[in-house]
Formats: sequence, structure tokens, C-alpha cells
Amino acid sequence: MPDPVHNRLSRRAVLGAGTLLAAPALLTRRTAAAETCVVGTWGGDYANLLRDNIDDPILKPKGVEVIQDIGDETPRVAKLTAQRKLPRGTMDIACVGAVNGYRVTDADLVEPLDAAKVPNLKHVLSYLGATAFVPHIFSAQVIVYNPATVTAPPQSFADLLDLKWKGKIGMVSTVAPWVMMGASLLESGTTTDFDKAKAFMLKLNDNGLRLYPETDALAPAFKSGEIDVAVIWLARSFMWHNAGFPVKGQFPKEGAIIYVSGMVVPKNAPNKPAAFKYLNAMLEPSAQRGFAAHMGYLPTVDDAPLSGTVGEQLSLPQPRPKLVTPDYPAISKALPDLNDWWLKNIQHT
Amino acid sequence: MNHAITQAARAASRRDAGAAFSLLGPASLLMLLMLVVPLGYMLRDSLNRFDPTEMMIAAVTPENYLRFFVDPFYRSVLYTTIRVSVIVTATCLAFGLPMAWRLARSTSRWKSALVVLTVLPLFIGSTTRTAGWMILFSRGGMLDIVSRRLFDAGSVNLMYTEPAVILGIIAINLPFTILTLQSVFEGIDPRLEQAAASMGAAPSRAFWRIVFPLALPGVLIAAVLCFILCMNAFATPVLLGGPKFQMMAPLLFWAFSGDNNWPFAAALAFILMATTLGLTGLANVVIPRRYRGG
Repeated sequence: MPDPVHNRLSRRAVLGAGTLLAAPALLTRRTAAAETCVVGTWGGDYANLLRDNIDDPILKPKGVEVIQDIGDETPRVAKLTAQRKLPRGTMDIACVGAVNGYRVTDADLVEPLDAAKVPNLKHVLSYLGATAFVPHIFSAQVIVYNPATVTAPPQSFADLLDLKWKGKIGMVSTVAPWVMMGASLLESGTTTDFDKAKAFMLKLNDNGLRLYPETDALAPAFKSGEIDVAVIWLARSFMWHNAGFPVKGQFPKEGAIIYVSGMVVPKNAPNKPAAFKYLNAMLEPSAQRGFAAHMGYLPTVDDAPLSGTVGEQLSLPQPRPKLVTPDYPAISKALPDLNDWWLKNIQHT
Repeated sequence: MNHAITQAARAASRRDAGAAFSLLGPASLLMLLMLVVPLGYMLRDSLNRFDPTEMMIAAVTPENYLRFFVDPFYRSVLYTTIRVSVIVTATCLAFGLPMAWRLARSTSRWKSALVVLTVLPLFIGSTTRTAGWMILFSRGGMLDIVSRRLFDAGSVNLMYTEPAVILGIIAINLPFTILTLQSVFEGIDPRLEQAAASMGAAPSRAFWRIVFPLALPGVLIAAVLCFILCMNAFATPVLLGGPKFQMMAPLLFWAFSGDNNWPFAAALAFILMATTLGLTGLANVVIPRRYRGG
């Protein structure tokens, strides 16, 4: 008697159909085995340190698998904005600087947070704040100099206009907003007097300001004697120091602008519980100390005191320098015009 | 009978059309998807309005194009890009023509080796090559050391200057120019030069009066290739020009990726594309018709 089933279906077709039918079950089991958290982050050292201090030691044992979505900050913010109308976004965590943190919070793109969702939020330093943007690390904008060639370093931004530094001052072109805030602080005691800051920057540019495309380009410029002084983050001088290039940092006496890097949870994050676990892990003392030890950024929590060599290197001098938090709403509003002005007047001579 | 022949001819025509579609279709479709559709999107974006919070607000406004043409800064960036591209193209032709002609006419057993040597720089990515130039140009780099130690001259620091960018782009574009020109010269019968010589023409006269006019359509193609590559150069201006040197492609990237201003970046992209196409078309008009290909 002929077998109608075997006449119509080949063995291959049966196997293929079986695999297709089984696929959802296989995928579901995989998803159930590990909760995933997609973290939009910068690459390089930062991504490696996230993995070494947060992903592997803290979250992996808890069954949270972290997937890093590596890219620059501005495209990440663009992605957040572009995906805002989607019911499910592609990131659970987005790493951004504080200015963009403010912007995405103001645009209602990110999840409000509290200690019920992220218990470690109660340890975040009060002057850094944490509503939707959670500070991860921070550093201060200082005047870094080469002690081999500079015996009397500039004490403030005002000293940079001294002719003895003509052609010997370096900056990274991308730090425009922070340098402008530093200049404003010098000129008017606030971080938002951009007209005076522009006038100061024009004078500094006339004093032979050298611009570099990225922070790493400053180290060879220091070593070759092209520059003696630079305005950068204290953390970078720590990294160079540990890499065998002993530069020193001087806090400007008018105050040092702080740069805060942190994380947000998009409102349409696919896995918010995992994102909250990630933020909590990021604020753990061990993770915070790991970043301080390797990148020289200061912890943003009150329960991660630094000790040993790292503590000595990163401790603030006495008397304690004035650390100034930017006026985020003001800088956020002024940023497009400031960037345009900088491009036309400082980057184009 | 006639009817049968007509039907057969129609069937053959349909087969030809089918064959043509099957050969041209996939590439055309891919081109449509990968180039025309994104360009269409970009054109639409270029007419939108920028907003720092919303990023892009749907509109039909020429303001992004006007911003470029009204502001002398942006126009100066375009002029710089054109200037650099013209200098690079002229230099590549000046160096490439004799090299390509010599290579084409060479009967040496080393000819293949010379061609490989010409192509060799293309084996290394342009960014890697530019990193090499950085070592050469920077303060404390090779040029600087040679200048100070051997010639007791002052410090040489070409980094972040226009000449550095021009040299860097020439190094990238020259092999393309030589290869294009060589294939053009290979296609010109050497007996024409021998005939000219037999009638008393000096080699240089034979080259400029016989070979060069015949090669002109190919030279135009080499120049256009070099010019387009330079107009759109990105890595070299960024790495060797530094933040204070502006060309169009880095400016476009800055608007797109640094400022998140997609409408303006899209407008810059179209302005750059239109300028490149316009100048290329102009070159086609300027060269007398009898020297052009086709």
C-alpha cells in the first residue's frame, strides 16, 4: 500500500520544517537562561573597564548578560532621539556625558530613577545629582604642564594669556564647551557668561593656541616640546603619569569645571529591570574603585573612598580646590551656537 | 511566412530583453537600493529644520542651503577644498603622465615589478599611510630631525598644515592616476610615435602632438578620478590638517556626528556632490570635443 505522506514530503523537508518549528522553543530557552542588558557605550578603555569591573564580576554571576553597543556619544543621542516613538528601543542603558544627560532628560526620553529602582542611588554625591542621569565617573578640568620644562605653572586661565606661553598651549578641539565655561568662570565667576568667554578665547587664540584632534595627540606634543601647557581633564594626567610621562595638574584658582560621565535608561528600553541592576552594579564601590585605579576618574559615590597609591594620586590638594558644576540647562541651550562660533573663530584662523 | 518571421523576431527580442534584464537588473536594483534611496532620504532631510532637542523637524525649507551660501566661513571651506583638489590633481597629472607613459612603453623584464611597485601603496589603507606621514611631519619626526641635525636648520613642523594635507592626498591619489594613465597609453599604438620619428619629430614633439591628444580622453578620466577622490577626502585632512584646517568632508562629518545637525549635514553633502559633478562636467566642456572620448 502506498504511503501518501512519504510520497508528498521529502526527508529534507520534514527535517527543515521540524527545525523551524523547534526554533522558537530553542530561542525562548536561550533568552530565559540569561537576562540581557544592551549598553550603548564608548569603546576602548571605557568599554573594557565596564566589562572588567561591572559586566563580568557583578552582573554575570547574577545571570545578566551584557551586550555592548559601541559608538560615539552624539550618534548614541541621535539614536535615542530617533527611537523615541518606538515601543521598544534597542538600548537598555545609554552612556552619555552630563550635558547630553540633561538634554535627554529634558526631552523626556529617559526613565526617571529613584532608590526603589536603583538602591545605590542613595550613595551618589549630592552635588552631582541623580534624577534620570546617573553619574558614573567625574573629573575636573585642570591646567596640565610638563614639570621638566615648566617651573612656575599657570595658576589660572588668566595666566595662559601671558606671552611666555605663546604657542605653547595645547587643547583638544572637542572640549570647546568646557573650556568656554572655564573662561566664563574666570571672567565673571559664573559658567554662563559666554560673551566674555568668547572674548577671552579670541585672546588665547591670538597667543598661539594649538588645537589637537584628540586628547591622545597631546602627549607626543608635550614630549616633543611643541607645547608646555594644556587644558584637559585631571584623569588624563593621571593616565599619562602612570604610563611613564610625569605631567602635573594645576587646579585653576578661579575654580575647575567638572566633567561628569554617566548613564541613562531610555523610556523604551527593552529590559528595564536589567538596566536598573546595571546601574546599581555601576555604583558599587568595587566598580567605582576599578575606574579610578585605571582611568583616574573620581568615584561618584560616598562609599568608595580611595586608598593606597591611587588615593594619594587622586586626592584633591589642600586647601580643597573649588569644583564647579556646569549650569546644564544654560550650556545645553547655548551649545549649538557655541560650537558654531568655536568652529568659525577658533578652529578657523 | 512573414507572420512567422515577425513572431520569431519578437520572441528573439523578448529573449534579448530578458537576458539584458537578468544581466543588468541585479546590479541596477542594488544601485537603486544602496545609492538612490539613501540619496532620496538625504535630500528630504536637507530640507528639514534642525532642533537641538527634537534633532529634526519636518519642513520644506531652503535654510540649510542658504546658511551655507550666505556664510563666508562655509564658502571658504568649499574654496579650500576646490583649491586643494585642483593642486593635487595637477600635481598627480604632472608626476603621473611621464611615469605612466614610461611604464606603458617599457619593454623591460622589470615592467611587472614596476607596476607592482606602483600599486603597492594601495595595499596599505589610506589611514595607515597617513599615520606614517604623521610620524614624518610632526615635530620630533623624521623631517624635523633631518632638518635640525643634518642641515643645522630650524625646526620643521608640517603637521596640521595645508601642504601636509596636499602631500598626503597626492601620495594616495598618485597610484590611481598612474594606473589609469598607463592603461590609456597602452592602448595607443607605439608605431604612431615611430612614424612621427621617421618624419623627423623629436620624442617630445611626437608625445605632445600625437600621443597626448590621443590620450586626452583617458587623461580627463584620470584627472576626474583624482579630483573626485580629493574633493571627498576625509581621513587625510582630519589627521594631517588637524582641527584648524577645514575641508568639506570633515565639515560634513562634524555637522552630522559632532553637532547632530542632520539637515545641515545633508545639505552639505548635496552641495559637495553638486560642486564635484559640476566641476567635472565643466572639465568635459572645456576640453575640445574632438579630443574627448566617444
